[in-house]
Formats: sequence, C-alpha cells, structure tokens
Amino acid sequence: MRYSVLRDKKPSRERMYELLRAPLITEKSTLISEYNQVSFWVPLNAHKFEIKHAVEGLFDVKVTDVNTLRNKGKTKTFRGRPGVRPDRKKAIVTLAEGQSIDVSTGI
Amino acid sequence: MAPETSDLVRARVFIQSRVQYLSRDAGKLAKIEMQITETKSEGLSRELEINLSSDEISGKINDRIGEIQRTAQLPGFRPGKVPISVLKKRFGKAVLGEVLEKAIGESSQQAMTEKGIRPAIQPEIEVAEFEDGKDLQYTLAVEVLPNITLMDFSKIRVQRLVPQGEEKDVEQALENLAKAHQGSEPIKRKRKSKQGDILTIDFIGSVDGKEFPGGKADNYSLELGSNSFIPGFEDQLIGSNAGDNVDVQVMFPGSYGAAELAGKEALFKVTVNEIREATPAPIDDELAKKAGMADLVKLREAIAEEQAREYVSLARSRVKRLLLDELYEAHDFELPKKMVDSEFDTIWADYEQRKKDGKIEDEEAPKPEDIMRAELREIAGRRVQLGLLLAEVGRQNDIQIAQEDINRAIMEEARRYPGQEDKILDFYKQNPKAMENVTAPIYEEKVVDFIMELADVRDTKVPLSKFIETLEKDREDEEKEVKKSTRTKKSGSKKKQVPAKSLTKKTDKKDSNKSSETA
Repeated sequence: MRYSVLRDKKPSRERMYELLRAPLITEKSTLISEYNQVSFWVPLNAHKFEIKHAVEGLFDVKVTDVNTLRNKGKTKTFRGRPGVRPDRKKAIVTLAEGQSIDVSTGI
Repeated sequence: MAPETSDLVRARVFIQSRVQYLSRDAGKLAKIEMQITETKSEGLSRELEINLSSDEISGKINDRIGEIQRTAQLPGFRPGKVPISVLKKRFGKAVLGEVLEKAIGESSQQAMTEKGIRPAIQPEIEVAEFEDGKDLQYTLAVEVLPNITLMDFSKIRVQRLVPQGEEKDVEQALENLAKAHQGSEPIKRKRKSKQGDILTIDFIGSVDGKEFPGGKADNYSLELGSNSFIPGFEDQLIGSNAGDNVDVQVMFPGSYGAAELAGKEALFKVTVNEIREATPAPIDDELAKKAGMADLVKLREAIAEEQAREYVSLARSRVKRLLLDELYEAHDFELPKKMVDSEFDTIWADYEQRKKDGKIEDEEAPKPEDIMRAELREIAGRRVQLGLLLAEVGRQNDIQIAQEDINRAIMEEARRYPGQEDKILDFYKQNPKAMENVTAPIYEEKVVDFIMELADVRDTKVPLSKFIETLEKDREDEEKEVKKSTRTKKSGSKKKQVPAKSLTKKTDKKDSNKSSETA
C-alpha cells in the first residue's frame, strides 16, 4: 500500500525542522489548547504523516491526530496590478492525553 | 497544553479580578504584609531584615499583568483579548522586575515608618534571595537622623556690626567726584610746565622721516601724567614753556596697536600753545546737582549710604557665621557617618581639583595629605552638623519657603543668561534637583533669620574702616586657628572657626541633606 509506506517512513532530521516552520499563536490557537491541540505553519507539500513524525520526533510527545488545511493566498492589487499572496498550510496537531508542548519557547 | 493548565488560568483570572478589586479599594493605604526583624541597631545605623511572602509578590504580578492585558496588542489577537497565560510568557520577566522594585521600595518605606526610622541617607538595600514562587528576603541598611535637642536660642548672644560710612571716607569720595568733574584754566604766571598740567599742543609725528596717518593734531589737550600717550611722550614735555617747539623722540612699544608702527622710532614735532592748570570742581551744591542730587547735604548722605550698603551683606554673613559658630558649639550629637563621608568626598574632590588647577594658596600646599584629609574631614563634619541642625530647626518650627521667594530666585538666576530666560525657567521646572539648589540657600536664610529673631542680637555701630579691620582680623584668626588645630590635632578638640569658604559652600551640603530627607 502506498499509504503505509508514507505512514511508516520517518522524515530526516532536516526535513523535520523544515516541516514545523513556526508555531501558530492566535486567539483561536490558544482557545483550542483546551483540547490539547497545538498548531503550526507547515510547508504546502507537507503531509499529515510526516508532520506527526516531526512533532513526535522534535518534542518527544505522542500525537494522536493531525489535521491540515490550506490557507489560500489573498488577491491583492498593488498599483493597479493584481497580485496573489502565497498559499500557506496550517497543521493542527492533537496530542495524547497528559502531554503538552510549550510552543512559545521554540525548538 | 494540558486541560489542568487552562483551568488554572481561569482560576487565576478569577482570583485576580478579586485581588484587583480589593487593591483598588484599599488604594494607597494597602498595607504590605511582611515580617520585619531588626538585626542591628548601633548608634545611628540600623539594619532591618524584611521578608515578603511569595503570595504578596505573585498577587502584585497578577495585578500588573491584568493592567497590561487591557491595552496589550499582539499579532494574532484582538486588542484586550490576549489570554493571561500568553501575556505571562511574554512579559513575565519584565513584570517581575518591575514588581520587585516597587515592592521593595514600598515595603522599605513602610518598614521604616513602622519602626519610626527617619533616614538620613538613601537606604542601602541588598536582596538576599529571591526565586519565583519563593519569599522575597532583603536587608535594608540605613542611618537615621540623630535626635537633636535644640538649644534655647534666646541664650545665643551675637554682636552685629552695623557699618557706618565715615566722614573721612565721604570726603574722599566727594573729592574723587570733584576730580571727575574738573575743569582747567590758563596759568596766571608764566612758568614751566609740570606734572599734572594740561597742555594744549600741536604735533606732527613721523617715522623714518615720513608722516604717518593719525600722527598729527592741532590744539590737542594733553594732561601730563595721564599716560594717555605713548610712554615717554608726556615726560619729555615736562619743563617746557608756552610757545616752545619741542622734538619728542619716542619708541612705539612692541605691542602697539598699529602693526606697522609697533617697535619703531618716531619723531614728534610738538608746539606747546598753552599751559593750563587743572582746577578741581569746588565741592558745593553745584557739584551735587551735576551728580544728580538736590544739594550737597543730600549728596553726602547718599554717598555714606552707598558706602555702608556695600558692606551690609558682609556684615550679615559675619553675624551668620558667629551665630553658626554658637550653634555648633552648643550642640553635640552623633553624625550619620555616611553623610559625613559623602560630604567629605565632595570637599576632597573639590580640593584635588583646585590643587590640579594650581589655585591653592602657598601655605596650604605643603601640608601632608593625611593632615589635610583630617582637616577637611572636620570641615565636612561641621557642615553636616550645621545642616542637620538647621533642617531640624526648620522642621520643628514648620518653616516654609513661600512660592514667590522661589520664583524670585529663579527669575534672578534666569536673568543672568539674557536671551535664554525661557530655557532656564524650563530647566528648573523639569529638574527638581536643580530646584533644590535654588531653594536650599533660601531655606537656610529663612532658618537663620528665624533663629536670629529669637537670639540676643546686639547692634553695634562701627565706622567702616574699623569694620573692615574686624573682618580682616576674623580671617587671620581663622587661619591661625586652622593651623593650630591641624598641628595639635586632638580627637576631642573642637575647632571654633573654619575657613570662610565652608560657609559660602554650605549650600550644597544643605542640598544633599534635604534630598535625603525627601527620599
């Protein structure tokens, strides 16, 4: 199965650091911390399996679920010329019960 | 984050809102809970050990964070909606420092009031230990103001000299005035010119046989002995007769204004036209009118007054010094050592500076440093003692400085810098420290006035010449006294006099004294 290959293949250390670009700290993200979830900005081509591996590998926690979403870049007009801001991807990671990450301290 | 954490946050928010409410209610009266133990109490120095509970501190931190929350703007959050937990992570350290500083300041203040300590200097605070979540412990070392029992001022006796303009001085001044208004008339009998005569001359000057610009004049009035011409010129005209032709040979001085003439030999062909005698204006009503007075009597009075006025401030400072000497003798109390130290440092630095600038009088220079130090230390002690004394008198009798006095003093100060008055005024408005420099002398004067009123001050009228003599004698006495006291330095011996400079410089001592009082 193709999925099983993806699921079990651990990304390299470098790729892990690349995957978790920055913690997403907003009102919403602090709100959902109540459900033991943390959010990150991730590359557009990141997939859930490798995000899971990255969070587990870098923060030494157990991840139960990963949700991702694509944030489409806005079209902005600058000096009469339309431009497009880049798309971005967010990952919302659910941690196993009793585990936590201090997102503000960085890796 | 774990669910427990967020519950904790809520709980804190809840407590915090109550704490805020409570503290707002109590306002500034909020008493800080703390344990104070006095660890040292020797003479004037006190040492307190103060323990603030961690609850106290964390409560204060939460208060402060709550304040920040209302205005904080962070990306990703709407204004005022940033959660406490985020803020704590962001600003926790800064707030902690701020809160600690404030808590220490307030608690030390409170501790001192509770223990009835009136600090003489800025208290020294040393934090023994503090960790987040632990009690804050610190020691506070301070020197208290000594308890001063003021003497009965009515027992003070000082002699106030009132200088009077003397007949002889007035005459002298009148003569000078007459001379300034002198006229001249031709001599009656034919004679040779002499020093003090006024000659009317024509002259043509030349250098190397050539005339030079400005070297020629007709009917010029020259007073012999007035030194208004090149040196030697006037001398060579002494002994000439009216109608004589005299060749005057002079050398232009090297420093002469016109460069092309400086240092050159010059020949002046001089014709003496007339010899006149200087006649001083007669001392009469006419002269008085010229000087802007109604008549001679008035003029005399005005001169006498003018002469006396010059010495009024001198007389006052003399009385003040006598008074301060009396006060110094009559009081004996322990001085806060740190105050004396800092005063001594100022004097010493000043002395070193003057030594470097070479402004020290000869007799002062060869003294060995340790003797000089001891001497200056004594001066520092005197200044501190008198400063404390005057401040105490002011405090006990509730002497205040009127705002007008301050304003006047500042205006006077500002007037010394014409064109920048506004700047000076602003400077004083913005610098309470500088303001103290102005108010301190005023306050001192006020207190001295107050004591003077109570004290037995006797006016003695003295002629001016005698007054000046007295002043000079005072100064000599002081110098002798200082020398003697340094040579036979005994620990208990008190010096009666210190150099007058200590009095003029007393203001900065008062200043430091005052600032420590307000601190």
